[in-house]
Amino acid sequence: MSPETIILMAEDDEGHALLIERALRKTGINNPIRRFRDGQEFIDFCESQAGPGCSVREAFVLLLDIRMPKIDGVEVLRMVKNSERLRNLPVVMLTTTENPREVDLCHEIGCNAYIVKPVTPNDFTETIRSLGEFLRKMEVPSLAGVS
Amino acid sequence: MTPPASLSETEKLLLKATREVHDFKTALDEHAIVAITDPRGKITYVNEKFCAISQYNEEELIGQDHRILNSSHHPKAFFQELWQTIQSGEVWRGEIRNRRKDGSYYWVDTTIVPFVDSEGRPVQHIAIRADITERKLYEEELAKLAAELDSKNKELETVIYAASHDLRSPLVNVQGFASVIGEEMADLKKLVQACANGETPELSQVQAIEGEIERALDFIIAGTTKMDALLGGLLVISRLGQLEVRDVAVDVGRVVEMNLSAMRYQLEEAGATVLVEDLPMARGDADLLGQVFGNLFGNAIKYSSKERSLVLKVRGKDFGDKVRYEVSDNGIGISKQHQDRIFNLFHRLNPTDTEGHGVGLAIVKRALDRMNGTVEVDSEPGRGTTFSIVLPKSAV
Repeated sequence: MSPETIILMAEDDEGHALLIERALRKTGINNPIRRFRDGQEFIDFCESQAGPGCSVREAFVLLLDIRMPKIDGVEVLRMVKNSERLRNLPVVMLTTTENPREVDLCHEIGCNAYIVKPVTPNDFTETIRSLGEFLRKMEVPSLAGVS
Repeated sequence: MTPPASLSETEKLLLKATREVHDFKTALDEHAIVAITDPRGKITYVNEKFCAISQYNEEELIGQDHRILNSSHHPKAFFQELWQTIQSGEVWRGEIRNRRKDGSYYWVDTTIVPFVDSEGRPVQHIAIRADITERKLYEEELAKLAAELDSKNKELETVIYAASHDLRSPLVNVQGFASVIGEEMADLKKLVQACANGETPELSQVQAIEGEIERALDFIIAGTTKMDALLGGLLVISRLGQLEVRDVAVDVGRVVEMNLSAMRYQLEEAGATVLVEDLPMARGDADLLGQVFGNLFGNAIKYSSKERSLVLKVRGKDFGDKVRYEVSDNGIGISKQHQDRIFNLFHRLNPTDTEGHGVGLAIVKRALDRMNGTVEVDSEPGRGTTFSIVLPKSAV
């Protein structure tokens, strides 16, 4: 992942957001992070001029929680993958449930990865480290079609 | 009895045949509900069982058609199909719900056989019926139980969903920030070690570690508090499911009045104007209804608009065998796209703006389910919200 890539994080829980950011930084991912407190905030951002696909110079990746107020993550994922402009935005589901039905649904809609937030100590850092690895290797396409 | 010797062979055969038919009829009358109608459907014969089940006597039935027993249960098309079948000379079979003279209902498994004369013209219809009321009641009971089971299952799924998402969420914080403290402690140990080696650590370094540990502790405490509140909410919902629910006449006006008086302080503080119309009685459980109105009033206060003082209206009206109550406010409102999820357990629309754990409306929904009632929401952002509650009407 290039250093210019902006990490978008849709996460309603203040603590989770801090833990994710802290763990990412610890694994050496120092990309800018932009946080949204619910699905609606993220959708509003996408529809604004600053959103993904608006500038050829900016690349984005989305870390998406599922259970959020207003518009939940599954709905956000569906909106992203159904949008001509946002379809190529890489989406990593980062959530508390491992309910197979939900995992399958997200893969079906087209998420790029599905990560369960672990609740046991140390696992969290470990998981984020692997997310870091994943992000590092990830080729983030420019949504405007120019890489 | 042997026939007299003076009878001819033909007469003897005829007599034997008549006796056989008579025996058949006696046996049939013992077993079945029998009626005969003319081609236009007028009743020309009924047996004793027919009279017994319908509670009409023979004189009341002869000359009438079967509409006298109509229970309004079956659609018009049902009887049209019946008539088309027997008029085309075919046997009709089916299950019919009829109404007795006293207005109660009974179900009969029915076979109607049309008879024609030698030229093919309809002469009469013989209908043989069996009482299946008890079986039908069992079937209805079974269908009701199946529906209840289905709704219980759905509810259980919602609770499991809520538990897997929402209860794990604070746990992630507790464990995650406990690890943070561990990491910070390791850094602190290094500093202590450095001190022991005669080095002087930067004050800002120590302060940064202190700050991280304090923040982590705050998140851990908030996480356990949140879990406790969520478990409390889960317990309330689960108790609602087990509770013995009364099904009696409830003075809803009094329930509303008691709730408002218990909330007088909060209402006054919100500068609320409360308008309560005369409310009809309902059938249900007064305690559960108290919880329903309490939660709705609480929400009206919680989600009132900062731009205008709260106006809370409660009204109610009968319609058919039900009563509808409306609780309206002029608060911040809920946009259409979010309305279907507000009754979900632990669901919150504005977690940052208001206190709460997303249990109140789940209680409202669950309590009304238990009283065979329903709740719906109608709302417009910036204008206000109306909750409509429907309950069975009280006979009193």
